[in-house]
Amino acid sequence: MTNKMLKFVSVQQRQPEKRTAEDRRADFDEIYTDFVPAGAVEQSSRCSQCGVPFCSVHCPLGNNIPDWLMLTAQGRLEEAYGVSSATNSFPEICGRICPQDRLCEGNCVIEPGFESVTIGAVERYITDTAFENGWVRPTRPFAEREESVGIVGAGPAGLAAAERLRAAGFQVHVYDRYDRVGGLLVYGIPGFKLEKHIVARRHDLLVESGVTFHLGQGIGSGEGELSFDALRARHNAVLIATGVYKSREIGGPGAGLAGIERALDYLTASNRRSLGDVLPDDAQALDANGKNVVVLGGGDTAMDCVRTAIRQGAKSVRCLYRRDKANMPGSAREVKNAEEEGVQFEWLAAPEAFVGDGHVTGVRATRMKLGLPDASGRQSVEALEGSSFTLEADLVIKALGFDPEPLPQLWAQPGLEVSRWGTLKVGQQDFQTTVPGVFAAGDIVRGASLVVWAIKDGREAADSIQQWIEANNTAPAAQEQG
Amino acid sequence: MLGLHKQAWSAASALTLPVGGLYKMRRTGEQHAFDGGVIHMLQTAVATDSFTTYKRYADAVRAQPPVALRDLLDFREGRTPIPVEEVESITQLRKRLISPAISLGALSPEAHETLSIAMNRIGAKSDSGEGGEDPARAKPRPNGDNASSAIKQVASGRFGVTAQYLNDCRELEIKVAQGAKPGEGGQLPGFKVTELIAKLRHATPGVTLISPPPHHDIYSIEDLAQLIYDLKQINPDATVTVKLVARSGIGTIAAGVAKAKADAILISGHCGGTGASPVSSIKYAGLPWELGLAETHQVLMLNRLRHRVRLRADGGIKTGRDVVIAAMLGAEEFGIGTASLVAMGCIMVRQCHSNTCPVGVCSQDPAMRAKFEGTPEKVINLFSFIAEDVRNILASLGFRTLNEVIGRTDLLHQVSRGTDDLDDLDLNSLLSQADPGPYARYCTLEGRNEVPDTLDAQMIGDAQPLFSHGEKMQLHYNVQNTQRAIGTRMSSLIVRQFGMATLAPGHLTVRLRGSAGQSLGAFAVQGLKLEVIGDANDYVGKGLSGATITVRPSVSSTLVSNQNAIIGNTVLYGATAGELYAAGQAGERFAVRNSGAVAVVEGCGSNGCEYMTGGTVVVLGDVGDNFGAGFTGGMAFVLDEHNTFDKRINPESLIWTRVVDPKWADTLKRLVERHVEETDSAYAAMLLHKWEEVLPRFWQIVPTDYAKVIGFSVPEVALEKTA
Repeated sequence: MTNKMLKFVSVQQRQPEKRTAEDRRADFDEIYTDFVPAGAVEQSSRCSQCGVPFCSVHCPLGNNIPDWLMLTAQGRLEEAYGVSSATNSFPEICGRICPQDRLCEGNCVIEPGFESVTIGAVERYITDTAFENGWVRPTRPFAEREESVGIVGAGPAGLAAAERLRAAGFQVHVYDRYDRVGGLLVYGIPGFKLEKHIVARRHDLLVESGVTFHLGQGIGSGEGELSFDALRARHNAVLIATGVYKSREIGGPGAGLAGIERALDYLTASNRRSLGDVLPDDAQALDANGKNVVVLGGGDTAMDCVRTAIRQGAKSVRCLYRRDKANMPGSAREVKNAEEEGVQFEWLAAPEAFVGDGHVTGVRATRMKLGLPDASGRQSVEALEGSSFTLEADLVIKALGFDPEPLPQLWAQPGLEVSRWGTLKVGQQDFQTTVPGVFAAGDIVRGASLVVWAIKDGREAADSIQQWIEANNTAPAAQEQG
Repeated sequence: MLGLHKQAWSAASALTLPVGGLYKMRRTGEQHAFDGGVIHMLQTAVATDSFTTYKRYADAVRAQPPVALRDLLDFREGRTPIPVEEVESITQLRKRLISPAISLGALSPEAHETLSIAMNRIGAKSDSGEGGEDPARAKPRPNGDNASSAIKQVASGRFGVTAQYLNDCRELEIKVAQGAKPGEGGQLPGFKVTELIAKLRHATPGVTLISPPPHHDIYSIEDLAQLIYDLKQINPDATVTVKLVARSGIGTIAAGVAKAKADAILISGHCGGTGASPVSSIKYAGLPWELGLAETHQVLMLNRLRHRVRLRADGGIKTGRDVVIAAMLGAEEFGIGTASLVAMGCIMVRQCHSNTCPVGVCSQDPAMRAKFEGTPEKVINLFSFIAEDVRNILASLGFRTLNEVIGRTDLLHQVSRGTDDLDDLDLNSLLSQADPGPYARYCTLEGRNEVPDTLDAQMIGDAQPLFSHGEKMQLHYNVQNTQRAIGTRMSSLIVRQFGMATLAPGHLTVRLRGSAGQSLGAFAVQGLKLEVIGDANDYVGKGLSGATITVRPSVSSTLVSNQNAIIGNTVLYGATAGELYAAGQAGERFAVRNSGAVAVVEGCGSNGCEYMTGGTVVVLGDVGDNFGAGFTGGMAFVLDEHNTFDKRINPESLIWTRVVDPKWADTLKRLVERHVEETDSAYAAMLLHKWEEVLPRFWQIVPTDYAKVIGFSVPEVALEKTA
């Protein structure tokens, strides 16, 4: 076979076309257009086919990226899909929302100077093409098994685990307090990064493969909720994949004013609106239309908020972050997109108070400067005295990060040990919590993190659960549940 | 077994085949000696000058699943440590480290020079590899850096092996084989042959270069001894190393090499160096150096040869621990190749053959070379860290010098790495100790194993006016075939005093009457002319570097010149410039790897002009079988009196035609005329006499690729005639 690869020396990097900023601001659709097939082939052929592929090394899932790039370059897309889906439960989702510039593409060895292979776009192209051609089929186990597994949380970790456990033949039940499958994929991440039908078709596939979903089913002691003990009794093993939903708050004068909202509430309302849900009246407060919006934070959630606000028709959108652009945790690509769409960034600025009478009218902030790097290499920040300034604001969105909810208390499970950050403690290899037969994966274990890590944890936890069940077959058989 | 069953029958794996990962690393595939994390750690360590990070790297290497035999060995406990300050210094230890042979051609000029500069700065040695080296690098840089490789390699391709090259060094290394691909030659793809590389290798840009598997002048241990002798003549100061590869029976070979007066023997292992290997040899070819080194050390000890030859090991040495284990198995010097490339930025892309190395380490493409971020400092840091690591280990074992642990296999023992198949290996034969007798377990020789003088000792004395006043001279001697490598030591003196091309041809003429011994005029340079009246043995003009050699029968001889051999086998092997006129036939392997010399002979044996990349060869008579195999540059003319040439030629890379172009016909005629002038050949004079009849019976042989480069095309008239 003639070598079609290593074309990075002659072929320029070309990401799929991005819609114009003007166009993007008008709706919540994804901003990247699809690859034309020839473009995907050409861009895949730029791969250097490394002996030690750092893209793969730095992919949490260890995706065999060079292999499916080569297959794509050779036009063998069905095989490419096979290789891609072997290590990743939802490649088309990762292709859309992974911060590739920090993972695979950021570590692409041709990156300094030649610009990386467009790994994310090709990944998305492969699985989208697979869906179009009907190559994506529901997982059907070779043999059914009697044992059942309950999964709490229908986010990426839970779904990845569900798919794998189902493939192994287990009876899989997924519980989620929301009415749709996907967790943050559906309610957290805005449609312009991940259109919701992408998640919905994964839901359909899982249903077809025999996974049972219990939507709108919270766990706990509240009304209509299922107690954790009852859940545990139903299943041979339980996987906790709830994610972290408790927003980090900010104090200071005026922090209690109306119009200061949590990022997740804001994003959920927006996503529900896009999905056509009817929102309660008070949700009007969560619409940025015609407002001056200030978003606090510099992570990917903050980027989602600012870009959502732009699309809702905000009068102005500002993002306040206390470090500079180089030190922000969010993906550089998202910042670029936001800037293109008209978001103004206030780097090196930290909020110190909120002004307003009853309802917020402004944010008072201080200029910061970067200090010397600490032991971890991160630069600390110091406030510059006398540098206060006030930004006009009708809506302030706090995107300062998320913490775990106190599950041991909420679920009356004192045996569930947590770390000092409130995340669940699990065995390093086996994902098992301090309660035997109860496993945990995703953000609830590692703290707010990337979808790709959740998928990895979910897959590995599933394998671990299978091993545990096989080793503990004598455990009381689960009741057949209705 | 259960694992295999599960793998075969579990639902998840039945859907997709395992991805492999044998040649290219995959997370679920085979363990690789250098994985991504380890590469990053080493690069961070050398870039930030952090020994702490290096230690993390060394620990990570140690923690990897076992891939090498040394991973099954560990130091015996129970020794009393000493303070590290009492151990010999890092500077001393670093001198034992070598950056092994990687040619310019494989490496970019930047990477190649960086290694040389770094090793020279720390008083250690880098090896040029076999691609020649720009003589300009021998001159110190404005900042004092010396970019000349201290070790110059002489390999089977003899690329750029000139008298100058052989004198610009402290050590000469004969590469008999390469650990990563034993028994195989090399190939430099045409697209990596740039102007610079072609110039240094005396070849044509854009034409693929082949290093033949064997040395055509080494068919026995005596031949190797002869080459060692020749090298010690052309460079009277340099030590000579012979690079062997680990294999069973290597002890016997090494004993022979030691007796052939080598000063060091390198045992090269299978690991590392695989960037230069064909895919078929990356795996399952070669043996670990641990095996070869242990056997060599033991056999040399038993034969009381070890104390006069240094032992060196290379092939995947990465840490101080590897170095100390190699020392205990018998080595005193250590080559660190792959790790030094990683220190310069190599990230194991393993596209060394593609000219697209994205870090500019092994590409000749200017766009890639611009990406090179290696510095001598990084390389120095690596070698310093390894030396410091060695020092710490020696201190922990209670030794003050590395010499004290050489050959001390009693300090090692086999450890379990947790799997039955590895525990079943019995490494005792590696760890057995030969009786040292009255000698040390390491080389105690200062300087080099000297070889006896040849006629040159007298010639140099007689030629004093040349060296003191630059006078033109003519010397005259009787010669016998025990006098070998005549003119070689003289050429060393000439090149050191006058350079390669300042003396006019024939400035010093030496007339020799009788039978000249082997390697007449080996590496001889411009300004020297050797006239033999009689005959000459094998290897005439080996590596000829500009001199003129003429050989003709004595006037009293009754032999018909074109029907009798007058020079032996393997004449002009690796010649880069100069002229040879021999009034008689040459033996087998005539002008193999010639890359610039002009020669006229009256017939030759098999394999003539093999792998030739330059120069012009005229054969006024029959040639043997397989003429011109792998011939990719230069030109040959053969007089085909018996219409047998088309059965003799190896047609693979060649076109051949009658000499119809008047330009080339003229070139040919002038060479024959010159031959008559130099040798008084009656046969050749007769050919000239009836030139009109003779010319149409000549073939002109031109390599296909070379023809394109020089714009040579087969004229239509000629096609009709050949058809």
